[in-house]
Amino acid sequence: MNSENQNNLTVKILDQFQSKISEILPCNSNEIHILLNDNNSISDICTFIHSNLDARLVMMVCSDERRIGKKFVLRYIFERKNEDIFLIVTADIQENGSFPSIASQISSAYLYEREIRDMFGLLPKGNPDVRPLVLHEHWDNQIHPLRKDFDLNNKVPLNTENDYQFLTVEGNEVTQIPVGPVHAGIIEPGHFRFSTMGEIIINLETKLFYTHKGIEKLAEKMKIEDAVLLSERIAGDESVANSMAFCQAVEKISELKIPKRAEQIRVVCAELERTYNHLGTLAGISTDAGFAFGASRLNILKEKMMQLNEKIAGSRILFGVNIIGGVRSDISDEQKNTILNTIGEVSYDFQQVLEMLRQKSSFVDRLKNTGTIQRKDASDLATVGITARCVGIDIDTRKDHPYSFYPFLNVNKFKTPYKQIQHEVELQKRDGDALARFDLRVEEISDSVLLIHETLDDLRADSLSNHKVIENLRPYRHALGYCESHRGQTLHWVMMGENNSIYRYKVRTASFCNWPTIEQAVLNDIVADFPLVNKSLDLSYSGNDL
Amino acid sequence: MFADFNATRVILGVLQAFLLVLFAPLITGIMKKVKARTQKRVGASIFQPYYDIIKLIKKDETVSEQSSWVFRLNPWINFVAITTATLFVPVVMAYSPFGIAGDILLILGLYGLARFFLILAGLDVSSVFGGLGSSREMMMSSIVEPAIFIMVLSVAIVYGGTDVSTIVNSAAQSPLLIPTTIFAAISLFIIILAETGRLPFDNPATHLELTMIHEAMVLEYSGKSLALIEWSKSIKQITLLALLINIFVPFGISSDVSALTLGLGLISFVIKAVLFGILIAFLETRVAKWRLFRIPDLIAIAIASSLIGTTIFYIG
Repeated sequence: MNSENQNNLTVKILDQFQSKISEILPCNSNEIHILLNDNNSISDICTFIHSNLDARLVMMVCSDERRIGKKFVLRYIFERKNEDIFLIVTADIQENGSFPSIASQISSAYLYEREIRDMFGLLPKGNPDVRPLVLHEHWDNQIHPLRKDFDLNNKVPLNTENDYQFLTVEGNEVTQIPVGPVHAGIIEPGHFRFSTMGEIIINLETKLFYTHKGIEKLAEKMKIEDAVLLSERIAGDESVANSMAFCQAVEKISELKIPKRAEQIRVVCAELERTYNHLGTLAGISTDAGFAFGASRLNILKEKMMQLNEKIAGSRILFGVNIIGGVRSDISDEQKNTILNTIGEVSYDFQQVLEMLRQKSSFVDRLKNTGTIQRKDASDLATVGITARCVGIDIDTRKDHPYSFYPFLNVNKFKTPYKQIQHEVELQKRDGDALARFDLRVEEISDSVLLIHETLDDLRADSLSNHKVIENLRPYRHALGYCESHRGQTLHWVMMGENNSIYRYKVRTASFCNWPTIEQAVLNDIVADFPLVNKSLDLSYSGNDL
Repeated sequence: MFADFNATRVILGVLQAFLLVLFAPLITGIMKKVKARTQKRVGASIFQPYYDIIKLIKKDETVSEQSSWVFRLNPWINFVAITTATLFVPVVMAYSPFGIAGDILLILGLYGLARFFLILAGLDVSSVFGGLGSSREMMMSSIVEPAIFIMVLSVAIVYGGTDVSTIVNSAAQSPLLIPTTIFAAISLFIIILAETGRLPFDNPATHLELTMIHEAMVLEYSGKSLALIEWSKSIKQITLLALLINIFVPFGISSDVSALTLGLGLISFVIKAVLFGILIAFLETRVAKWRLFRIPDLIAIAIASSLIGTTIFYIG
């Protein structure tokens, strides 16, 4: 059925753009690569795919392929709604050239285009925002670090002349409040520029990328086994999701399957990760609402889950679980019982805490109608994860692109058409406020517990990893790996180089998609509610800044 | 009145004020400990506020170049105003020898002075958070102060005057439960929560500058100045608690100058102050911080409560 759909799509696209397309290649079972003749038609084809084929732009990848006889290659990755297909529009761009911006047709492209301009020096023609994004004003804007001719050990002199222009909001009684990049408490850096009238926020501008670590460039120097460790460190609390997405991309390139037991262990760890992080976020929401008692109860549960992680993987934040081709360590019968007992205890306590929180009118009142996101904004910005699901956008990578062991699990709870419609009606009813996000996190925790039970009950006897994967990697093949972290869809695009090195590694975590939504979410809220809105969206600085 | 003005009483009056100043950080420490225990944390020692003050006094100060004398003088004005106010509050004995110099309205005036300078200091450093805190404090105080005056007046009509000694003396001789005073007590309790920056008005434990009220104004202080600010805050809290205790639950307070009754008065005051501190701390663990713009609702309850009390006094 899948290939039939793929053919249909291919025909539809070819009908429209026969003369502009040089080739359409199906690849890695669910990717359709559309190779363009020239880059003048980028805008038309992308808009057609976006609006007529009902696909979201999920990532833009640029890679410098001049060394292998090509130019800069730009890939626009689209995801069909409720269908396991990625449409990838591929175009070649001249060195120091430009490409037409699609930001005015597809809003979610504007950040990717700015990122590509910073990292590769290719100019998105027509993108209204000409300010740097990833590399701040102190970076020499003639140096583009992801080009192959930029050496990792280069020292780049500081450029102190440039200034960053924030958007100016003018008018009587409008005050600017700059917050950050250094914040109180132990959190990461990010600058927020509020324009307020009294307490009411009329505009918010975020400036991020203060913790830019050069992950993508670092990976190009690394052996593939080490790159797994690097991917774990993109964001400490998404270590399983990121390394899983990376390993899956590499495994796809090798065209080999990994053992079922390894897939199951990966799924268990991914769900453990989701659980402890959701508990932590709920505790954070409670803290920021000024309700320390609820927060401490929830933090106790988070701590129990992290201690469980340590017993299972030897790491409180689940580092070192995934290796290419499988997993590093097994889950013994004894460990299995420990997991089941602990999550049983935690779920029981969790219900008690929830009952208390839900009855606390002062707490619920803080969340209700705070940080409301409009559905249109969320779909324009290609929001993912909980935030999207709370405004009625039904996306969950585990369901949309079943990966690893998820196809064998009951991820989609709504099997009958009636249940499905009921579910969709429920989705439409969600308000998109902090309370909706709170409730959905609670629901996801119990779903995760069910998934862990389901997986562990059916643990197959099998080896832990497939060692052939690493031997079977051919240079310059590429694949897309994906995973649903607790924040939402995580995409890793990997292109292999010679001798099992990485030629290009592009990461897009859920935070990158969701950060722009905070600028919409706080509008018409008051300044004092900002920390609460921020926490309820649960955005990662590190995962965004790479 | 002048007949009562003798040396022993003056010394005792000064001593009881001194007691409040010394005892103040301990109440803060006890409240923090109670909060920590209810959150299943061990918490710092109840003497931690003293250690903090000592540590801060030893430290250097950083003062913004943008600031003026207002910023540097404010901690002293605050400390002096708030400490002076303690002289007029009966603590152990139902009498304050300085009653001739001022009544309960003077206490409120001194608090007003302290607050005025605190707000100015918040604006003075020209940091955004200071301004944010100052504007919020102005919003709060513009509704809290009327609430205090209405509460004071409803007490005054019951006990015949605004002089604190008179009020406490007649309260000590009256039956405990008069409807008017019950309503006034509810009102004063809410006012204390607002005045001392407690939940649900303000979160004293938060690190989030954007949500702060009181803390945002004093964010720029360090060293000795911060020690004074923290200490003044504790003293103000215990002084208000002393008013609440001695106006509304005065039993046990000493009405003459004998060692036995003074001792009893001291013990009963300490017990009552600690109990009220624990009550407030418990309340703080049971409630989330309210939305900023819902705070006036709560103060409106305080005003309404005093007004109902007054009405009942005239009807009953």
